[in-house]
Amino acid sequence: MEKQSRTAVVRKQNTRDYVRGVLPLFGFIVIVAVFSILTQGRLIRIESLSLMFSQVYVLMISAMGVFMLMTVGGLDFSQGSILGLASIIFCWVSNYSIVLGVLAAVLAGAAMGAFNGFFHVKFKIASFIVTICTMYFFRGLCKYITTSGPVPASTNVMMLNETWFKLLLTGIMLLLGFIVWHFTRVGCDLRAIGASETAAQFSGSRPDLNKFLAFTASGAITGVAAFINVIKVGSISGTAGSQLETQILIALVLGGMPISGGAKARFSNIIIGSLTYCVLEMSLPMVFAIPATQQLVKGVIFLVVVALTIDHESLRVIK
Amino acid sequence: MSDIILRSENLCKRFGITTAVDDVSLEFERGAIHGLIGENGSGKSTFCSTLCGIYPISSGRFLLEGKEFRAKSQVDANRHGVSIIVQEIGTLPGLTVAENIFLGEEDKFMRGVIKNTSAMNREAQRLLNSYGFERIIASRMIDNYSFEDRKLIEIVKATYFNPKVVVVDETTTALSQAGREELFTVMNRIKSAGNTVIFISHDLEEVIAHTDRISILRDGKLVGTVQSGETDDGELKRMMVGRELTNRYYRTDYGQPISDDVVLSVENVTVPGKIHAVSFCLHKGEILGIGGLSECGMHEIGKAIFGASYGRSGSVTLKSGYAVNSIPGAIKHGIAYASKDRDNESVAVADSIRDNICLPSLGDLSTHAFINNRKLDDFAKKYAELMSVKMTGINQNVSNLSGGNKQKVVLSRWIGKDSDILVLDSPTRGIDVKVKADIYALMSELKQRGKSIIMISEELQELLGMSDRILIMKDGRINGEFIRNQDLGEKDLITKMV
Repeated sequence: MEKQSRTAVVRKQNTRDYVRGVLPLFGFIVIVAVFSILTQGRLIRIESLSLMFSQVYVLMISAMGVFMLMTVGGLDFSQGSILGLASIIFCWVSNYSIVLGVLAAVLAGAAMGAFNGFFHVKFKIASFIVTICTMYFFRGLCKYITTSGPVPASTNVMMLNETWFKLLLTGIMLLLGFIVWHFTRVGCDLRAIGASETAAQFSGSRPDLNKFLAFTASGAITGVAAFINVIKVGSISGTAGSQLETQILIALVLGGMPISGGAKARFSNIIIGSLTYCVLEMSLPMVFAIPATQQLVKGVIFLVVVALTIDHESLRVIK
Repeated sequence: MSDIILRSENLCKRFGITTAVDDVSLEFERGAIHGLIGENGSGKSTFCSTLCGIYPISSGRFLLEGKEFRAKSQVDANRHGVSIIVQEIGTLPGLTVAENIFLGEEDKFMRGVIKNTSAMNREAQRLLNSYGFERIIASRMIDNYSFEDRKLIEIVKATYFNPKVVVVDETTTALSQAGREELFTVMNRIKSAGNTVIFISHDLEEVIAHTDRISILRDGKLVGTVQSGETDDGELKRMMVGRELTNRYYRTDYGQPISDDVVLSVENVTVPGKIHAVSFCLHKGEILGIGGLSECGMHEIGKAIFGASYGRSGSVTLKSGYAVNSIPGAIKHGIAYASKDRDNESVAVADSIRDNICLPSLGDLSTHAFINNRKLDDFAKKYAELMSVKMTGINQNVSNLSGGNKQKVVLSRWIGKDSDILVLDSPTRGIDVKVKADIYALMSELKQRGKSIIMISEELQELLGMSDRILIMKDGRINGEFIRNQDLGEKDLITKMV
């Protein structure tokens, strides 16, 4: 009996997984359609789209790092602060060389990520606690450095503020991320660790090392995002990048990423999620004039989308 | 015909289009222990789950003392005097023993809005003592107790209120010999109080020894009911499987010499609080059985060899001279390990069959750090099919597989890795006869191919039937060694165990 019932359960689950897989894409299309109508087509004009794209780069790139962290069951609330600090470091070094500046931002990001990873792995502190602490810590450094005013980047950097350049850089980062995720053992390892740490360890994966590296990589990737951030804004103030962490988390969840991580993480979560988030960010001000209303509606929409797409099954499986 | 306490009439349970329990009409006598057996997936657990309100009934009904009985939930079933002890852990960590026992019944100890904890502890302790489990302290956290003790606590929890019908579902697989004896005592007490036990187990000898009647299910249908005193192993197996089982269940060869070639030597290995100064060696093509009581430390030996113990001292050395100190090192040098705790330490249940099989071999399957996904698919498919894992595809999640198939996934993984030394802890725990036979056959085949196996097991028959040599452990030390021999019996092993 159970044999047969099992096939039924599996079939049901396959359907559910399939639905869950396409739901974020469906949600994206619905949101675009609804807001296109509500904004009487203003949303899908070229100028709106290019404005939207200008917002999506930083989010999409830094979401890749958090995606890996979330796959192993972690969370990162320090992304915004890392972006801020890495941006400042880029600004400083960009006065000597832009290439060195990018390198410095990536290294600084990696160092901050490694700092997170070290505390998480070495002292077994839950990742969200560690990163909430470092969020304040890195932010504090940002504010301290910018007490006397924003840190400007070299004026040459502004010349790179071209859509094609930012698009190309984002594309390259996504491609690299995709290759690492699909064509190296990283994806398999991270998924297994997220699904069951002990079982993964007993199968030869190294959970601690992988987690540490995921944090470090996530910081480094945010270093690249910091580069694009500076290209866009030119100079960095103490609050640069704040709220980025929540934007990333919401974007990933909108994209279908299971909050508890594990085997159901898909690379497409990053892309669809970031796009959906940016469409919402773009279109709400067009529909609702008052910022308070925008916030309110945003909150409601996120709740509804999350409630519809969240995978209750895997939440139960993962402790 | 004596008094009938519980009756099922044309009971059916369907999941979607499939029928799990198919038109089962059964009678359970008052004051009896009634065995319920069948292969994995035969419907015995589902049958009892509908009785206890875990699943709703699709059609048909239960009559409890002549009145229709349809439990809405487990708590509802308890209130009507029907309880269940399940196979897996049913206690909640982070609560005390007393809180676990009285879960859902806290109202009894409420004074207004304040819980009278000491009264609850006293009552729980009184119950524990009345079962003879004095060593369990009601006020302590449940986390302080072993898997086995928690099982005993569950037994108290499920039976203290003197229920009319108690379902014992595969509970013995989690218990050592001593724990089983305690369970059987409780079962007999329930019986002599005029109540009924429904006893589900894969261990046929145990079922025959401790029940009055036995009902056999196959593919959701009732095959028949026999008197326990008038049946034997062979008849039950035939009824369960629906055909004659071959005799090659265990190995039949005796007197084969053990090779002199030592492939692994364990010297002076100590894990604080678990094993003390254990030394032995493993030979090429040898099946080394390690047995003992559940808490004797034998399960830790598997972990120690695999580099997975905390605070281990002493050395584990391979023939090549390599000293094993970490899991990745152990795997790289040909050691495989299948844990007793299959769901937490062997398979990542929330991950796909494919990933589970490929994990240890990812390094071998990559070229310059890159993996070829088709190669991974083929690899997983090849070994899953070789082990005949019942699945819809390699992308299926492991969580939906039965215990036996999960174990097959674990074994596929190591066969695929082509490990030379397999450490199998309780390889057939909770697994039905057919898959058990498959696993024994696989072990014999691996032996023929010159692989060495360490089989840690609480099943004495399995140790006697499969091992070339048996080590018996007691209190963390090796207490006896036996060479494969036709005259060796369970009693010989037990004398060294206790």
